[in-house]
Amino acid sequence: MPPLWQLMLVAGLAALTCRFAGYLAMRFLPASPRLDAALRATPLAVMSGITAMALAAGGLVEALALGAAVALTALTRNDVAAAVAGVAVAAGLRALGI
Amino acid sequence: MTRAPFTWAGFRRGLRMGLALSFPILIYGLAFGMVAAQVQIGWATALGMSVTIFSGSAQLALVSLMQGGTATLWTAAATVLVINARYLLFGATLRPWLSAAGPSRALPSLLLLGDANWIATMRAAEKGEEDRAYLAGTGVLLMTGWLTGTLIGAVFGSVLPDPRALGADLMLPAFAASMMTVMVRSRAALVPVAVGAAAALVVAQQAGHAWGIVGAGVAGAVVAALTVRPAGKA
Repeated sequence: MPPLWQLMLVAGLAALTCRFAGYLAMRFLPASPRLDAALRATPLAVMSGITAMALAAGGLVEALALGAAVALTALTRNDVAAAVAGVAVAAGLRALGI
Repeated sequence: MTRAPFTWAGFRRGLRMGLALSFPILIYGLAFGMVAAQVQIGWATALGMSVTIFSGSAQLALVSLMQGGTATLWTAAATVLVINARYLLFGATLRPWLSAAGPSRALPSLLLLGDANWIATMRAAEKGEEDRAYLAGTGVLLMTGWLTGTLIGAVFGSVLPDPRALGADLMLPAFAASMMTVMVRSRAALVPVAVGAAAALVVAQQAGHAWGIVGAGVAGAVVAALTVRPAGKA
């Protein structure tokens, strides 16, 4: 293996590239209604994808926790509190051994 | 062009959101620190990785590469690039909003970008947040939580409870699900939701979780670009 400091330098540069490249590349894409629609749809698609993968990888506890997060958001419109409550549901159910 | 606001007030609004996100991030940092300790990576190295990479998924992948003893500079770079490819999408989607702050403020803000505060910032921007310091505000506490967790996990790993028991693995999905729910305001918004979920499941099964996120974002973007109606409402 190469020296540790070299590994960390390279990994750090790779992480930096990922953080900057998408942002900087957008400079060269001309604005258009299509691009606008694509950028607006991306966050929703990613959030939905993260949720779907967690549901697929998990079981009853994960489904109940994320279901609680969605239901509480719909009821209260407070997304942050609902998400924290969803995590608490998971921790509680796991403490009960489910 | 007049610059968008970048003030303490916006930074503080970000901090408030970051506070909610930072506890689960701290727990996730604990998990990383514990893994690093298990494979005999010292606390200083673990902390160094958390500062320079600042991405749990990429760091865990890198640690497993180092554990196998097969790490080269190429495989290390490729691992981080692949796992963090989703940040290309994050940066691209932030551009229209964040670039109004000017590059000297936008680029440093991106150093503090993570999954959770990307979601939170996109949500805030959609809700009408004008102050571009919001992103940095959310990020500072994420970074603080991440480093604190890494350090505690790496030093005291053997005596800590399992982060899973605290629900730390569900933090990001729960925030994603909740913020998605408030952002769906029309039936048309269900299209990217459905496309993203389907693409993530298919891609993740073939290529793993990190590509699942990329697949969801790309599929959602492509479908939206192809189906946009001229001067229509989204």
